[in-house]
Amino acid sequence: MKPNSSVGILGYGAYVPIFRLPTSEVGRVWRGEGAGPNKEKAVAHHDEDTFTMACEMARRAVRMAGVTKLGAVLVGTESKPYVVKPTSTILAQALGQHFALAADLEFACKAGTEAMQFNIALVASGMIQAGLAAGVDTAQGRPGDELEYTAASGGAAFVIGRGEEALALFERSTSYVSDTGDFWRRPGEKFPSHLGRFTGEPAYFHHIETCVRAHLEEVGHKPSDYRWAVFHQPNPRFPVEVGLKLGFKMEQMEPGLLNTMIGNTYAGSSLMGLAATLDVAEPGDRILMASFGSGAGSDAFTLIVTDKIVEKRKLGVPVRDMIDRSVKVDYAVYSRFRGKLYE
Amino acid sequence: MSKVFIASAGLTPVGEHWRKSLLDLMVEASLSAMNQAPELIPDRVIVGNMFSAVGSNQEQLGAYLANQLNLIGVPAYKVEAACGSGGAAIHNGYLAIRAGESEAVLVCGVEKMKDIDVGKVTAALAMADSAEYTQFAGATFVSLNALTHALYMKKYGVSKEDMAGFPVLGHRNAALSKHAMFKKPITVEDVLRSPIISDPIRLMDSSPVCDGAAALLLVSEEGAKRMDGPLVEIAASEVAANIFTFYERPDPLDYLATRAASKRALEKAGYKLSQMDFMETHDAFSITGALALETLGVCKPGEAPHDVSAGRFNLDGELPLNTFGGLKGRGHPVGATGVYQVAEAYMQIAGRAEKNQVRGAKVGLTHNMGGVDTTTSVHILRREA
Amino acid sequence: MINPVSYWRLKDRYFNLVGTKCKKCGAEWFPPMRVCRKCGSQEMLDHQMPHKGKLLAHTLMKETSEEFKASSPYVLGLVELENGQRLLAQIVDVDATGLQDGIEVRLTLRKMAEDSKKGTIYYGFKFTPLP
Repeated sequence: MKPNSSVGILGYGAYVPIFRLPTSEVGRVWRGEGAGPNKEKAVAHHDEDTFTMACEMARRAVRMAGVTKLGAVLVGTESKPYVVKPTSTILAQALGQHFALAADLEFACKAGTEAMQFNIALVASGMIQAGLAAGVDTAQGRPGDELEYTAASGGAAFVIGRGEEALALFERSTSYVSDTGDFWRRPGEKFPSHLGRFTGEPAYFHHIETCVRAHLEEVGHKPSDYRWAVFHQPNPRFPVEVGLKLGFKMEQMEPGLLNTMIGNTYAGSSLMGLAATLDVAEPGDRILMASFGSGAGSDAFTLIVTDKIVEKRKLGVPVRDMIDRSVKVDYAVYSRFRGKLYE
Repeated sequence: MSKVFIASAGLTPVGEHWRKSLLDLMVEASLSAMNQAPELIPDRVIVGNMFSAVGSNQEQLGAYLANQLNLIGVPAYKVEAACGSGGAAIHNGYLAIRAGESEAVLVCGVEKMKDIDVGKVTAALAMADSAEYTQFAGATFVSLNALTHALYMKKYGVSKEDMAGFPVLGHRNAALSKHAMFKKPITVEDVLRSPIISDPIRLMDSSPVCDGAAALLLVSEEGAKRMDGPLVEIAASEVAANIFTFYERPDPLDYLATRAASKRALEKAGYKLSQMDFMETHDAFSITGALALETLGVCKPGEAPHDVSAGRFNLDGELPLNTFGGLKGRGHPVGATGVYQVAEAYMQIAGRAEKNQVRGAKVGLTHNMGGVDTTTSVHILRREA
Repeated sequence: MINPVSYWRLKDRYFNLVGTKCKKCGAEWFPPMRVCRKCGSQEMLDHQMPHKGKLLAHTLMKETSEEFKASSPYVLGLVELENGQRLLAQIVDVDATGLQDGIEVRLTLRKMAEDSKKGTIYYGFKFTPLP
């Protein structure tokens, strides 16, 4: 998909809560030993939720972008505070935006990049001047399930607008979907269910590889044409594996790899990886970002960083700084925070 | 304009009255006052109370009480000013007599705090302050005073031990009183060991949750002619309202309402503060006790806790304070407190204070605050010449 | 106890610290004043307060109202905004024991309370020292 006019990122902001649960705690409580594939995961405090986090990241993105009007406020998440009632209108109110298209998007971990896709289209068509896309989750793992090691809280928001003012331009995007039920949640269920190892090759790998290969062909680039590559990171290993398989190198992926420290922020995952990469990117750098959402699908984007990034970036808070500011909690405190102690 | 006298006072003990309802308490205190002065029939009934709606699902307390006393057809209504309801109710009765509109006014302060759980009481007490901003922020009434206490400690560097002097004094006096809630003296260590409620305020720095009712029969000069014995006159009754929340005030530690009400009261009654034989101040928390004394001018700024700990305000000290235990020792059934204070001052001047008697007490001052000095009343009582 | 309608009326005040500003003398007020306390003018406009301030005093609250029990214990702070107006707000992302008065804090939106698991969620302002 190629936008008809120049569209890019005007500002970005990430947010991760300060609390970290060491995965050794999950191991200790449920198995008497061991830890997860990631060292720690970010845990939202009791008084935080998808909206409060979205507000933090969106305010940061808007401050960097320097815009006063947003024509769209799109929030991608699978952990909405209200199942029926948009999170995006609460966010729009907090941002002082009323004449805007507001919607909540859902597609597991790819809901954030979807929000980005729609904003690109709205800007490219001239229907809006600038819009906000946020990918954010307070992911919940079923207590004792292996996903509990990684299900984390956090995300990132991007103000998408006209290319002339952008710190990074969108060259092209691609979407690929199939009905692959690797991970789901039925109404009324508190926690999701999944098919274990099936979430690997037939789901994550197949969709990202198919999408990225098609994307590279459409956009006419090779992996070596890119300075950076960001992939959805459900655990520390998958993004590296898929990246290497697609022909990318470790150095290209390094800045975007956050799962070891904060776990999987679901709809926030690839967007946070992108934010962390933009924190170190230089003008002229080409970036590939590919998300994956269970159910299943992948969005791939090629971005080119402009020289505006140098000054704009100074108005933000670096993702790594945010990640470094952390307070460890134990399993008991985490359970209280995440409401697992009461039904 | 008629002078105003107190013909009698009735009060229930302050405590946990599981077997007595809001109405039971009001009636008990009122009948006690009325039976002591049977020659007077109240022509007005005023009830001072803060949260009967939350605590007992009951409003319209004036008529509710008057009905049980078979006082039908007389003006009867409730006056509310948070924990200053008692003082405000007395003020209203005082005005009616001054204006010649009443001859005998029954003023009853009552609070039933123990029927509902502590969480609901906390929420009800917080209603003294802004719902939209203070309550919504998660503040409780205790926390407002904790912040004031913190600011005060920062400004004056007063020690924890000196601040603990207030509850120690309160309990010492309360132990001598028949109607006080607490009967055991406590030490500074007891106070400092008690659990923190809202840092730095501890359990023993705070007045207790309790039930109680106190009643006064106010009488005009005309009505007083029918009575025997020396009378106690209300020489002044003043109320003042401060800027609503303490954090909106230019100086958050300034008790402007206390200062305004006491200044007017002393001027109208023709006294200097140093002429007071005793005082009943609003020591809901040690910090309010300290700021009250300093605002009244009895202590220099930052020195009240030290003066209390040094014994200046003991029953046998230079200026007896909170002679029956004050809010901390006698108890603080919030809407009733202002009436308890004046009833106790009346007992002092009438020579009926028994073990709590201040020798030769002829004139005294009471100070009752609603909120953090938001609606404050000051009364000056004196023996009729 | 807050209710959904009252909360809806107060959204901009809670989400963006919108108070009032005197058209005549420029004085700013939060909570909003309908009549200017400085000059007495009745012409007041809605106006957003600065979102940054200084922590003047704080208290660690162990006992709270029912609605806030889920968050207890928490730190309640007295914050002075950059324009001199003061407000009360919980201070988050801090360890109560090491907390110093005088630090710079900024507004962050958090959940204040909720009307039960099936009722309205009330968001409001708290303050954090984090950038």
